[in-house]
Amino acid sequence: MSTTRFDTAKDRFDDLLKRSRRTARYVLRDNSAKLGVGILAVFTFLGVFGPELAPYAPIEDTLRTDAGGIRRMEPPSNAAPLGTTTYGKDVLSQFLAGARPTFIVGFFGGVGTGIVGFLVGLVAGYFGGRVDEFLMRLTDLTFSLPFLPMALLVLTFVTPSVTLITAVIVAFFWKMPARVIRSEVLTVRERTFVKSARASGAGHFRIMFLHVAPNVLGIGFLYTAYAVAWAIAGQASLAFLGFGDPTTTSWGRMLRQVFASGGMREAWWWVFPPAIGIAAVTTSVFLVGRAFEEVVNPELRGDE
Amino acid sequence: MTFRRFLIKRIIIAFLLTLVSVSVIFVTLRMLPGTPFSSLVASGGLSTEQVNQIEAQYGLNEPIYVQYIKYIQSLLTLNFGYSLAESRPVSEIIYPRLMNTLILLVPALITTAIISSIAGLYAGWNRGSTFEQSSIVVTTFFRSTPVFVTGIFLLVIFAYQLGIFPAFGMRSPLDNPEGYIETYFAFDFAKHYFLPFIATVLYYSGDFLLLARNSVIERKGSAFLTLHRAKGLSEREQLARAGRNSMLPLVTYFALRMGMLFQGVITLEVVFSWPGIGRTLVQAINQQDYPTVQAAVFIMALAVITMNLLADVMYARIDPTVEEGDV
Repeated sequence: MSTTRFDTAKDRFDDLLKRSRRTARYVLRDNSAKLGVGILAVFTFLGVFGPELAPYAPIEDTLRTDAGGIRRMEPPSNAAPLGTTTYGKDVLSQFLAGARPTFIVGFFGGVGTGIVGFLVGLVAGYFGGRVDEFLMRLTDLTFSLPFLPMALLVLTFVTPSVTLITAVIVAFFWKMPARVIRSEVLTVRERTFVKSARASGAGHFRIMFLHVAPNVLGIGFLYTAYAVAWAIAGQASLAFLGFGDPTTTSWGRMLRQVFASGGMREAWWWVFPPAIGIAAVTTSVFLVGRAFEEVVNPELRGDE
Repeated sequence: MTFRRFLIKRIIIAFLLTLVSVSVIFVTLRMLPGTPFSSLVASGGLSTEQVNQIEAQYGLNEPIYVQYIKYIQSLLTLNFGYSLAESRPVSEIIYPRLMNTLILLVPALITTAIISSIAGLYAGWNRGSTFEQSSIVVTTFFRSTPVFVTGIFLLVIFAYQLGIFPAFGMRSPLDNPEGYIETYFAFDFAKHYFLPFIATVLYYSGDFLLLARNSVIERKGSAFLTLHRAKGLSEREQLARAGRNSMLPLVTYFALRMGMLFQGVITLEVVFSWPGIGRTLVQAINQQDYPTVQAAVFIMALAVITMNLLADVMYARIDPTVEEGDV
């Protein structure tokens, strides 16, 4: 019995792989999606290797002139290709090093949100009745507790760290995929193949994960991708308001510093790298996601 | 289930949700270590007895359940108690700020809902055109970029580098207008208003545009439009009819967005130093001013709950295919 279970699972998995490869080909026909994938690849690369590429230590090293004075607020030059900050730090190094925390929170926050939301939506939609009622009222509650104010409150009495910020983001964002997955599961649940699986004696667990889940996986991936963008935006907002991890340099924190120090008045070279970084990454996620949505949502194919 | 029963059920749920969320807010705030005044002891400014006296004055040394009951009472009467940081009624602080936020957001949201929806209908109708492609890429950029980043771009380019618009606040520091009319109908106010207004409009444009576009595409193949075409209506007249049919998701989405508005603008208000409710909240959190924090978060939560309720009810009322039980 157990071998057939694994065989079925393997079958489903192969099938899934084939389908996702085909979907990826469709998505990549879209030019803006191509651009998005390119930017995300660069971002991932920076997230992994960024700190090693940085010519100076982002916080510790202070750039000095030959005479020994600190180079404060200098526009881009050979010594500092993206200029320096008020405190004489190298903007390029901060930008490269700041990619990593941004990437970590975005990736883990997004994936965590996707997984939690997917499971809640699957369970609520599949079982229906009281389970559904309870889980959906819980999502209603998290909807009515606004993210930013509540996150700010939580972060005032615990020192913010990258892990904690990721956890807060997951705790507040899982509701979005949960609702969408639930409503998808509601329609899949009534389809004939699910009923026949139930009639032939399959257990709840098996039906949920082998029969229902593969059919809503596409939308689950879509919302996981969106959640990555929300997580990056959420983290940047928190850091900008001064509630980021104080020990690391993230793009949001760079914006915080340039804003709080008043450097924004002149130092466009200090503002633009982190701002463009955040904007480019979140936009790319949505460009790819939208092209993907066009493929998964059959209603959008219209009368072509 | 009749409509009335559905309505009553939704209202009760909304009420319970409000109660639970204000309780969560209360508990979260009381879990904060120390009180706003304990730092005064540490800094040596006041003795412990004096601090106890002040805390008694604000009711901070009463048992927690008494504080809780008083807190619920103050929310029900909407007067929110006394601010610890500014020692005047919270309502005096929060209502003018709320007004400043609304005056920024409501016109911005209405503007973007109208313009972007029309653009979206047009884009969906002309599927595959350059206009469709470029409008999607542009609005996707603005809707996915956090609103404060868009704000920072606008600020650096138009206020600091080009110097066209003021960068700070709601009016010139020298102005001292009295009353709402003098405050909001002034050229100086309009100048300060422009950049945050544009940032908000751009931020919300993407959702309405995509929603309207998808909605039209979904209806494009349907039979009633074929009939209109057969009747000999022009392209524009057909679009008008398809558009009317796509209104439902737009209207409900507008209600939902309205409810979530306050949360989205906290960072934006900080960037432009706009004296609204979001910026007040951040300041109050930094000063551990519980009553003000409670009031601001309560208003934000209440807005979401009320607008969600409204959206659900409208949906059930307008769309005949939605069974009331489903929502």
